[in-house]
Amino acid sequence: MDPAMQNSNPTILNVADLPTRLHPASSRKSGTYRDGILALTLSSLADPTDLALSPYESEESDGDAGLMEEPIDEQEIYDLVSTISDPEHPISLGALAVVSLPDICIRPTLPEVPSSLLRTVTVLITPTITHCSLATVIGLGVRVRLEQSLPPRFRMDVRIKEGTHSTADEVNKQLADKERVAAALENGTLMGVIAKMLETCQ
Amino acid sequence: MADPVTSSAHLQLLSDLTPPSLERTWLTAPHPRLPIVATCSSDKTVRVYSLTNFRLLSTIVGGHKRSVRTAAWKPHAQGESVLATGSFDATAGIWRRWDSYGQATDGWGLGQRDQATNNHDRAESEADEQDILRRDASNAAEDDDDEWRFAVLLDGHDSEVKSVAWSPSGMLLATCSRDKSIWIWEDLDDGDNNFETVAVMQEHEGDVKCVSWHPVEECLASASYDDTIRIWREDLDDWGQVACLRGHAGTVWFVDWEAVDNVPAGLVEETEKEAWREAGQRALSGPRLVSCSDDRTVRVWRRQPKEQAPVAGTAMPSIIRPTGMDETWEEEAVLPAVHDLAVYAVAWSKTGLLASVGADGRIVLYEERLVDVASPQPMDTEPPSSAPAVARTEWVILAALTGAHGIYEINHAAWAKRADRGRDESKEEEVLITTADDGSVKVWTVER
Repeated sequence: MDPAMQNSNPTILNVADLPTRLHPASSRKSGTYRDGILALTLSSLADPTDLALSPYESEESDGDAGLMEEPIDEQEIYDLVSTISDPEHPISLGALAVVSLPDICIRPTLPEVPSSLLRTVTVLITPTITHCSLATVIGLGVRVRLEQSLPPRFRMDVRIKEGTHSTADEVNKQLADKERVAAALENGTLMGVIAKMLETCQ
Repeated sequence: MADPVTSSAHLQLLSDLTPPSLERTWLTAPHPRLPIVATCSSDKTVRVYSLTNFRLLSTIVGGHKRSVRTAAWKPHAQGESVLATGSFDATAGIWRRWDSYGQATDGWGLGQRDQATNNHDRAESEADEQDILRRDASNAAEDDDDEWRFAVLLDGHDSEVKSVAWSPSGMLLATCSRDKSIWIWEDLDDGDNNFETVAVMQEHEGDVKCVSWHPVEECLASASYDDTIRIWREDLDDWGQVACLRGHAGTVWFVDWEAVDNVPAGLVEETEKEAWREAGQRALSGPRLVSCSDDRTVRVWRRQPKEQAPVAGTAMPSIIRPTGMDETWEEEAVLPAVHDLAVYAVAWSKTGLLASVGADGRIVLYEERLVDVASPQPMDTEPPSSAPAVARTEWVILAALTGAHGIYEINHAAWAKRADRGRDESKEEEVLITTADDGSVKVWTVER
């Protein structure tokens, strides 16, 4: 592809071995990104399944969430982001083990407010090489994918997994900066790259 | 919300501003004189709402190619309102409109109309590329006076403009950007919408998120992605950094100044207030700063007492002063921790209350109280000059509201004079205006 490729020989996992619930489950989130970047808030607002579940939320205050109450779990997050393509290989982030199920967690954003619907989704990213300059772009792709697919009550926390990147702090600060992410979404060049990465998402 | 220390004070929703933007709103700027506010939206427009009936008055469209991130009203503009906007498109815009806003009975003087036409032509010739004076789609039924004139585009920053602020006199406009710089522009007020670049300051090591002017002096505070706050003054025609405030452990999102005559709650008598000011050498340290950060804290900063604080308007520094312009600022207080996520904005009310908002959807109100009000110190003895006894105060949480805009993050908070029919005319009431990710803008009163 590109002669300047940073990691020309990455380790690739067999896609069939990756954990997924995609095939049996209906893909109700599918294709939201096609509506365009700026439609993300609206599309998630319009998600009726999420709001309909809110009455159950208060009952899980003891932290004992059943299947009905919490339909969006770590596996679903994994299915959303593992199908994103790497910006320099035509391979998914799941197959490259850039994202993996154990490095995803969902927890209440305001633990001391049991009635709060806010949830923080943490996705730790493991770049294929420790000096990968595309780490920021990969992180942004993951964040954009989640923002487009999840209801607005979710707060995104996309970070480089500790010890896997030389400038992790810098990348993390940028990925956590709402204003920078918002501005990136209006940057046509950058969004072209992101859109290409998300093309392979179901 | 639960804070054991304090009273039954709470925030009462007065109204939403309607209709709202359908996209994220970033900031709402209250007008210095009129009961109107300007709300900046990701939909590239600015909505002007009435604080009298909370309805949309007009939508300013066409000037910016990307999100409008920030806006500020020029103080002391005569007979017209002047709004500066800052956008992710790397430019700042200046907009004008003759006053008589939202008062259908007030017609326009003929002279004003002539002038308006002239400005119209000028603006058109100056910025032909801009989609200027595009009429608000919703104002077909409105009168002709619902007209915002795009005056000029200030071009210079390399990337997104994050904040704009007018100096107290209205002569200077500060803009800041992701390009790490702060620009100071002088409004030449020559009728031709000319602005001159007075200074470009590049000391910050990251995005400059916010700029805010001292309430009476030509002194600017800035907050940055580099986790610092910096203070800037002009020294013999040269703008330079006079202090760098370190303490926050993350991006500093916002800074705001205390009112000049502010005193802690509970001081009613003028003599008490005077005693407090003297005890802390407040006149020499000047108004304090409040800041908020990605580190989830809100902090109050105070300048060390300093002789010869420049006076408003005549900020000509003395060249014989040995210490130069440098100022020493210290962190006076870290406010009680409430926020669970980044704190995006903090606002200091005229009556001394602080309000902070953030990504956790909370609004938190704080009040400053004297620690030992019961035994006021007699002030007939002179305070020792070496180690002045600073009257001790503490900040308490007055109220905290979770989910103030439902599940959405709150990007901004500002205080404004209450103007609706429900106000108590015998006193000057303030309202808090909060601006959120879903486009909603809410107006609150503080009930005590």
